[in-house]
Amino acid sequence: MSKNIYIKPIIAFCLFILIFACSKDDPDPVNEEEVITKVTIEITKVGSSNPMTYNFEVEGHDHDNEGEEEDHDDDDEHEGVHTEIELEANSSYNVSISFYNDSDPADIENITSEVIEEADEHQILYEITDELSGFSIASASNDTVDSNGSPLFQKTTWTTTGETSGEVIGYLIHEPTSKTGNTRTDFGGSTDVEIEFEVHVE
Amino acid sequence: MSLVHFILSVRTPELPKYKCFKYSKLSKTVVNLSLLATSFCFSQECDLRLEGKVLDLHDNSPISAAVIYVEDSNETVFTDDNGVFVLENQCTQKINLKISHLHCDDLYIGVNLNKTTSRKFFLEHHIESLEEVIVEESKLKKLSSTAQSYVLSELQKDQYSGRGLAKALEQISGVNMLSTGNVISKPMIHGMFGSRVGIIYDGVSIENQQWGQDHAPNVDQNAFDEIRLIKGAGVLKYSGDTPGGVVVLESRVPKIADSLYGKTILNGMSNGRGLDIISSWTKSFQSGKYFKVQGMIKRVGDFEAPDYLLSNTGNDENNISFSLGQNKILSHWKINFSFFNQEIGILRSAHIGNVYDLVTAIELDNPSIINPFSHQVISPKQDNKHYTAGVQYSKRNQSNGKWTAQYSWQKNNRKEYDVRRGQYNNKAAIDLTLDTHNLTTNYKWDGSKWSFDTGAFLQVQDNYSNPYTGIKRLIPDYIKTRLGTYFTASLSPSNDFSLGFGFRYGHQNNQVKKYYHNSRWRTENYEERLGAFVIRDGAGQKLVEQRLIFNNLSLNTGLKYSIQPDLKLSLNVFHTERAPDIAEMFSDGLHHSLATIEYGNPFLKSETTQKFVINVEKQIGNFRYNFSPYFSQGQNYIIIEPTGFELTMRGAFPVWEYRAVSSTIRGIDLDLSLQLNEHIKFSNNSSWIEGYEKESKTPLINIPPFTTTNQIQFSLPNWKSFLMVLSSKSSLRQNQFPNHNFETSVVENGVRMKKLVDISTPPRGYHLLGMEFHWGPYPFFSDKISVSLIFDNMLNASYRNYLNRLRFYADEMGRNMMLQIKIRH
Repeated sequence: MSKNIYIKPIIAFCLFILIFACSKDDPDPVNEEEVITKVTIEITKVGSSNPMTYNFEVEGHDHDNEGEEEDHDDDDEHEGVHTEIELEANSSYNVSISFYNDSDPADIENITSEVIEEADEHQILYEITDELSGFSIASASNDTVDSNGSPLFQKTTWTTTGETSGEVIGYLIHEPTSKTGNTRTDFGGSTDVEIEFEVHVE
Repeated sequence: MSLVHFILSVRTPELPKYKCFKYSKLSKTVVNLSLLATSFCFSQECDLRLEGKVLDLHDNSPISAAVIYVEDSNETVFTDDNGVFVLENQCTQKINLKISHLHCDDLYIGVNLNKTTSRKFFLEHHIESLEEVIVEESKLKKLSSTAQSYVLSELQKDQYSGRGLAKALEQISGVNMLSTGNVISKPMIHGMFGSRVGIIYDGVSIENQQWGQDHAPNVDQNAFDEIRLIKGAGVLKYSGDTPGGVVVLESRVPKIADSLYGKTILNGMSNGRGLDIISSWTKSFQSGKYFKVQGMIKRVGDFEAPDYLLSNTGNDENNISFSLGQNKILSHWKINFSFFNQEIGILRSAHIGNVYDLVTAIELDNPSIINPFSHQVISPKQDNKHYTAGVQYSKRNQSNGKWTAQYSWQKNNRKEYDVRRGQYNNKAAIDLTLDTHNLTTNYKWDGSKWSFDTGAFLQVQDNYSNPYTGIKRLIPDYIKTRLGTYFTASLSPSNDFSLGFGFRYGHQNNQVKKYYHNSRWRTENYEERLGAFVIRDGAGQKLVEQRLIFNNLSLNTGLKYSIQPDLKLSLNVFHTERAPDIAEMFSDGLHHSLATIEYGNPFLKSETTQKFVINVEKQIGNFRYNFSPYFSQGQNYIIIEPTGFELTMRGAFPVWEYRAVSSTIRGIDLDLSLQLNEHIKFSNNSSWIEGYEKESKTPLINIPPFTTTNQIQFSLPNWKSFLMVLSSKSSLRQNQFPNHNFETSVVENGVRMKKLVDISTPPRGYHLLGMEFHWGPYPFFSDKISVSLIFDNMLNASYRNYLNRLRFYADEMGRNMMLQIKIRH
């Protein structure tokens, strides 16, 4: 009878030894599936067939070549990557924005189609600073609209007037609480992408 | 002459209701052993002498005036004051004895006599008196002989049965609740929480990723009969690395009797439109066997703040536990299993994308997303499962020693869901599985003056972070092995004075395999110090295997002295060494509720803390107070702080990193009570605490503000079972906080501007009024029923709590009315 009592701890102890003997297997690397690591803006002047492409990537990103890294001043209040977009005055441009996940360089994932598919849960917003006067961004005729007829702003038409320059912030908003407004706070939701660029109209 | 193997027969006459025949087996063994030694000669003589000593089975004390009746010769003798009796002129034969005593069951025993023999007989007390022994023992089973331990009364415990362990413990002065929203809460003792507070259940410390601020203990406190707490590392038996304190959840051993009893509590609450039912049943048998089952089902919907609904704050809980055991007084075995499953919704508005979203949320008075009331929980949410299985065995010896061995297995699975895009929304963002095996053994000996407890422990823990989340691991995979030993001793030369001493030594070996992103590797210049440990390199990540070893020695000593019968003083000193958590060394991830990126520090050393606690307890007539100042200082005290920014595609995020500092925490806990007359009792408990970094004098984060709770208890003499309690809790604003505010640049209404992100300023103080009415127990068929009506935040005050991590987003819960029906079966 009393012998039985020792059996359980012994079994338990054997279990321990077994566990000790095992070593942790090498964990698989995590393939970051959902993150957006690269944003591309493609700008085509109406009537032209030569698109200009601007890439937005996080500096120090793992696939950047180290030599290419720009000097970045930590005190710079504009934390984003500075991209300057040169446009001609009194013109119209067809612009499309695309989102990618290139954490795995061998398998670059285009997330744009997903955003388009889920237009109801997404909103792209370009917020134009006041100094960039006479510059406007409107939804293009071939833009995606959600189930309520709200444009996604994935494809846009940019119209310039006189010479000006200033900043534009582009946002991809996930689950916005409102689909109308002019400024980021009007939309609510959470920010999936925030990019900023300078527009020079000459 | 051949060796005769005696088999004693035990006659089983008509048994009285309570009979201790089950112990005869033990007596038989004792008889066998003692007689074997004396059985070499065998002759037919009638000049043999049997000298016996009758002892209490439980405490070995001699039983005087027991009647020994020799059935064969109708001879009767009595034991003297030393429990000794002598039977002269016995023949070489088997004699049948009946030993009886007023408080004991009769013992029928046969003794084979072949020479003059002396032996011991053990008598078993009646169950009634046995119970006393057990009750007394549980009283003696104090957590510490010198440190003040706090016990929740049954009323206090049941009142919070539906609201989590931390909420129940918050009733004790010096204990606060660190919460994330309204449901996730963990106890904070003297300004420390997480890995610095041990939660012990069924003799082992719960392993459920307790490092996380938003990880509530995965245990159902209703499965336990007693909730006790020591402020300070006073229970070296269970843990040596918890300088904050220890919470011990224990089950009482059921009575040795044929009975079936239980308790069912039904809680309904207006806020959250929630309902929970808790039921526990125990079936015990005369043989000491028992079976216990306990379960809880809870469904709560969205809570409401006074001005709005807190969308997605509902929670569900399903728990069940079983235990099966046999209590044979001298030995006890138990097998237990429990399953805890909780799904907790997190305020929908608290899931944000970047720092600008955080600024917007802080500026908004109301949460940005308010949906209609729902019981449904969607992302963001947590889904936690905790399984426990264990087996334990304990055995007492005749010299007041008790040996216990225990094996326990715990498996904790934590899934945290974020708001994610499309197909990923149903995929957890964090999926951690922690398997823990514990093997412990200890020997405890209680003497009249000295008592000691010593043991050894072995723990193996395996953490698995599921890579299929598609998000980099917050915590790496690791195997942690801990082994060690402890010894505690206490000396009580008189009832007025006791001294205690103890140590616990632990060796810890962590085998960690972690992926570092190359960008982080470069900015932190890890190549120099960790380069040698890289075992795999590719796709922008490096896999590093490290073996980290920590050896920790924790000590405590204390004394307790009753200067006068109404004045008690105790002083305790704790020295604690704590190995850094895996999270503190290796965490790596984005927190969506605070828009921060958290990084561990792989070079941290063990944290050491010294804590001094004084406790003065005095009774002056109807007035009683308990005054307890404490002081603790930490070296390599690990804190997390913002250190810079990291740019992502979502914008710039503040980076928080773990760092070791020297710290000082001090405070005072005060409990007062005044029994005005037989109907009215006034009580107050207050606690004040401050903590800062030694060198820079920077206050520590999350130190609770001054809090005071006043209570008036009122009972009516005619209504014997009625109790009314009016309580008022005030919490001042915390003015000592580290300033972690930072500026961010945003474009608002077409203008770029700088905005201050105020994540540091604590909210205003608040005052809450509560009321409780308790009726009962009243007879209810064959059961007893009690009813309670409890109002929380009666004035429906809108307030925010500094110790709530989601305080930026919404107010705390508004008024809540709770109806509790308790049936004792």
